[in-house]
Amino acid sequence: MSEKAITILYIDDEEHNLHSFKASFRKQYDITITSSVVEAEQMLEEKDFCIILADQRMPVMTGVQFFEKIRIDYPKPIRILITGHTDIGAAIDAINKGEVFRFIDKPWDYKYVENAISNAYDIYKTREDLKQRNIELQKANEELDKFVYSASHDLRAPLMSVLGIVNLALLEDDVKSQNEYLELIRQSVKKLDTFIINIIDYYKNARGVPVVTDISFEELVTEVQATIQYLPEYGNLKMTTDIQQDGIFNSDVMKLRIIFNNLINNAIKFQDKSKADPFVHLTVKSTPSEAKIIVADNGTGIKESDQDKIFKMFYRAGATNSGSGIGLYIVHEAISKLGGEISVTSKIGEGSIFEINIPSINK
Amino acid sequence: MEPLLNFFLIDDSSFDLFIYEKLLIKSGITHSVKTFNSARDALKHLTTQGDGLPETIILLDLQMPDMNGFEFIDEFDHLPEPLRQKVRIFMLSSTIDTRDIEKAKASPHIIDLLPKPLEIPFLKKKLGL
Repeated sequence: MSEKAITILYIDDEEHNLHSFKASFRKQYDITITSSVVEAEQMLEEKDFCIILADQRMPVMTGVQFFEKIRIDYPKPIRILITGHTDIGAAIDAINKGEVFRFIDKPWDYKYVENAISNAYDIYKTREDLKQRNIELQKANEELDKFVYSASHDLRAPLMSVLGIVNLALLEDDVKSQNEYLELIRQSVKKLDTFIINIIDYYKNARGVPVVTDISFEELVTEVQATIQYLPEYGNLKMTTDIQQDGIFNSDVMKLRIIFNNLINNAIKFQDKSKADPFVHLTVKSTPSEAKIIVADNGTGIKESDQDKIFKMFYRAGATNSGSGIGLYIVHEAISKLGGEISVTSKIGEGSIFEINIPSINK
Repeated sequence: MEPLLNFFLIDDSSFDLFIYEKLLIKSGITHSVKTFNSARDALKHLTTQGDGLPETIILLDLQMPDMNGFEFIDEFDHLPEPLRQKVRIFMLSSTIDTRDIEKAKASPHIIDLLPKPLEIPFLKKKLGL
């Protein structure tokens, strides 16, 4: 049996049928019973059922009429009809109008009912899984579409810039300006390389199997700091950290590294050079159940209208050569894969604060 | 004597602005290149210039944050007719997406889509020089 109990709604005007059904199956299933079709409709509105069983012969309306009525509004539950005597007309209606999955003869047999429910649930589950897969596939396709579209820009643009510079350099005799052009080529190539590394990170993150280990935030931050502090764009930025880790925190170190790397790199990239003391301050507070990470800077800040869009794929808030618009998308994906959340508060000219909460993954 | 052409470059990449400004001037096709790293700024400049705007050729990038090339064209469409008459627009992009190419071709305001990197002989041919 699956972790979640199978929810069943049973409608029958004979109370003792309801109670004997509930007594027989209540240990296996999550059962709701009612003798009124009106009440049954209300219950459908309030709760999700996997399976509905209905007696055929009831006052007000028959089981088939009930199924026919609710079928459009509640298509998900699998319908089973319980009938006392086999009437061919009712059977035809049940199939054509009520689209029932099974008939159960009265008096019902425990094994037979259990079998019908189990088969019905299989269908329910398969349909739900299929729906879920479809949603995931749709998302994957949309991402692929966006990827192909942006690839023409983000992969080709730096290359075409290099070609443009080469064309220009060929017109030049002066060695000094040749060197200037080489420097531009170098920058362009580096930009392309960063984009490719980001794409690889993203796919590792999206498709890779997570490896959960005991995390030392101190070590992780030191490691990330070591890789970035010699970057030429690091400038005068002052990075300070405040790490408090109490007890063991389990998570995927690869994803955490992606998160720290991107957020700190952004703080470097978008530092406000006009300020005397550009800084980024990293705070980590971790307990055995969760970690709170705050990255605060006094950089250029993010426009309010851009704040809800920055986590979208290929959305670039700034002009100039700021980036490809994939960094924060990767951060967002990594955090949601870890079951966490990220939020941002920012003001133009003042700085940005990214706040992240991630639960510890219990092995 | 050949009249000197007046150019606007609109591109979010400061790289490309630098390259193409130099290239245009070196080619001798123009002495006057104005660069904009945002389409919105370029639009503002066009409207404030009004009647004082000389005959201008715009090389317009496609993918830009905030306002992209096509959004610029949508806004350009609302400018007064006499102003629009003075402007010839070429899209300059590294795109290989057929949807973009079709869209650029279909636009009445875009003369042609020039692939990056810009080739001066190709541009001259398009300008009938």
